[in-house]
Amino acid sequence: MSTNEHHMEWPPSDPKVVKEELFSSTKKGSSSLKTISKFLGVLSVLGLVGLIGKFLIDGGDQTQWGYVAAILAFIFSVTGGAPMVAIAPFIAKANWARPISRMAHVIGASAVIVNIIIMIPLLWMLPPLVVEGARRRSIWFEAPVYSPHFWDFLSLIMLAIAGLGLLYVSALPDFAIMRDNSEGFRKKIGKFLAGGFVGSTVQWSTLRMRVGVMSTLYFFIYIFVHVVISIDFSLSMVPGWRDAIYPMAHAMGGIQGGVALVIILAWIMRKYGNYENYLNINVFWALGRLMFATSLMWIYFFYSAFIVFWYGKSMSDNAWLDLLIRGPMVYVFILGMLFSFVFPWWWLIWNKVRNSINGPVIGAFIALIGVFFERIRIYVPAWSVDPKLIHDKWLTVIPGTLYPDIWDILLILGSISFVVLTVIFISRIIPFIGVWEVQQFNLLAKPVKYIKAHGIRVAKPD
Amino acid sequence: MSKSILGLFLDPNHAADAMDGLKESGFERGTFDVLTGTPYPEGAFGEYVPQHRLFRFPAFGAIIGFTVSLFLTTATQLAYPLVTGGKPILSIFAMLIIMYEMTMLSAVIFSVIGIIFESRLPNIKPGIYDPRITEGYIGVVITVEDEDLNKAQKVIENSGSEEIKVV
Repeated sequence: MSTNEHHMEWPPSDPKVVKEELFSSTKKGSSSLKTISKFLGVLSVLGLVGLIGKFLIDGGDQTQWGYVAAILAFIFSVTGGAPMVAIAPFIAKANWARPISRMAHVIGASAVIVNIIIMIPLLWMLPPLVVEGARRRSIWFEAPVYSPHFWDFLSLIMLAIAGLGLLYVSALPDFAIMRDNSEGFRKKIGKFLAGGFVGSTVQWSTLRMRVGVMSTLYFFIYIFVHVVISIDFSLSMVPGWRDAIYPMAHAMGGIQGGVALVIILAWIMRKYGNYENYLNINVFWALGRLMFATSLMWIYFFYSAFIVFWYGKSMSDNAWLDLLIRGPMVYVFILGMLFSFVFPWWWLIWNKVRNSINGPVIGAFIALIGVFFERIRIYVPAWSVDPKLIHDKWLTVIPGTLYPDIWDILLILGSISFVVLTVIFISRIIPFIGVWEVQQFNLLAKPVKYIKAHGIRVAKPD
Repeated sequence: MSKSILGLFLDPNHAADAMDGLKESGFERGTFDVLTGTPYPEGAFGEYVPQHRLFRFPAFGAIIGFTVSLFLTTATQLAYPLVTGGKPILSIFAMLIIMYEMTMLSAVIFSVIGIIFESRLPNIKPGIYDPRITEGYIGVVITVEDEDLNKAQKVIENSGSEEIKVV
């Protein structure tokens, strides 16, 4: 009996059908997708123009680079946060996450080029550790003056290696399928990337270990990159800003954005890739709960930091409130709070909304916008601080509101477009739902009927 | 001269029977294996699961990275002794970030090497294989000397294989 006869949307049980259905999306490309890709390509080029224009016009003024830092922080944190959506359920042996783990890994690897391109001019603008003959406060203490430049860049490269490595190891069996079931150029790519994978006992037994090891390392690196970049590119640029919870709040915001991106991509693949049987209600329900949880985490982290400054009432505490809450970005702060917490919380609190296909994706869009506002709210004021004040004990001159110029807007649109374009490009090579993961899903889970109710029986082998 | 036999099965139970049959016929474990397009739970076919040493690679990489970073941070601080904030020249908290980063970087690089090595990749000469394995067929493969060829082939045939290949 085919499992499709069940009332619930469920992947087909025939491996050949699974393979053909999932690989079909890598081969067919609708005319609208081509048009979208061209449009994104144009925007990507404009983004590069924006970055070059920014460098040529504002290359000597650090205070104008807040939006560039904000978009870097936004892109690396939300794309980097996506694999965490696959890592946690993988460790917990959660079967529901199998159809979305490939998407999470793809998103994680999609921003490698953009991150590096934006990071290079930002490193140029980042002040050295010794400014005007005196060492500024940082986490690098007496290290060489360009330590943050070198080590932050290396950390981003490290995240890229881990993200690409995670995608590669988890996609290896699918490259073997590509090798065995395609012709011409695709066959050559499959043969090269599969590296002789034939599905032997050794190869499969190390598969779980490979993904597990890379996932663990990715987690450690992801958190570390947030620590160094959030501190070096925002906190240490503001005199007197000391906040122990800030790097973790930064990482949490990234994970919130990562969950949102995975939900959005899963929704798009379900709707336009015809993957209703694979990305069923269980997937969206589980992701909706994660989205809800991460939105609650936002307020937890924000309030934990805020309460210290609010009751501290020292000069530096007041300066923090003046700069980052009620200062030049007060409206962005309000929008950030509404979109990161209030709206998604109020929307996703309803079980009926979470337990639907469209409900979580609306919450995800809202939360993603919230993360974007949050990054602007933090990075733009931090970079707007007059560099001459960097040795002060606390901030005495609050900078005015900085609005994005044309170069910033081009860069923001272009960099986001390039990430989306990269995701589309990867979708032309490997399926966004892992074939072997679906087949394992079918091996281990079956929809069953309990008297008059329906459920899923899941096997969890050791 | 040794030859490889590949029996293709549609029913996993028949493949497991073939594995049992080969074991009972006296073939050494490790000379025969099962090829699948899906990661069945370990031991599902009664196959021999070799011990892997994947965990050693990140651990070894981490130790190397940590040692190099310890040397680097210590050497640079001793080479340029700057007292900052009244703290000792060798300040462990200032060294931690670089030590962590180099440890993790080295662990990642060694993990990638370990993954390639432990997965026996790249497998330049993959041996006997059939692309239908990625379509749900299960392959039972054995490499034997000429004198054992018929015995092994018979075991696989009797277990209900759909097709047998000999190379």
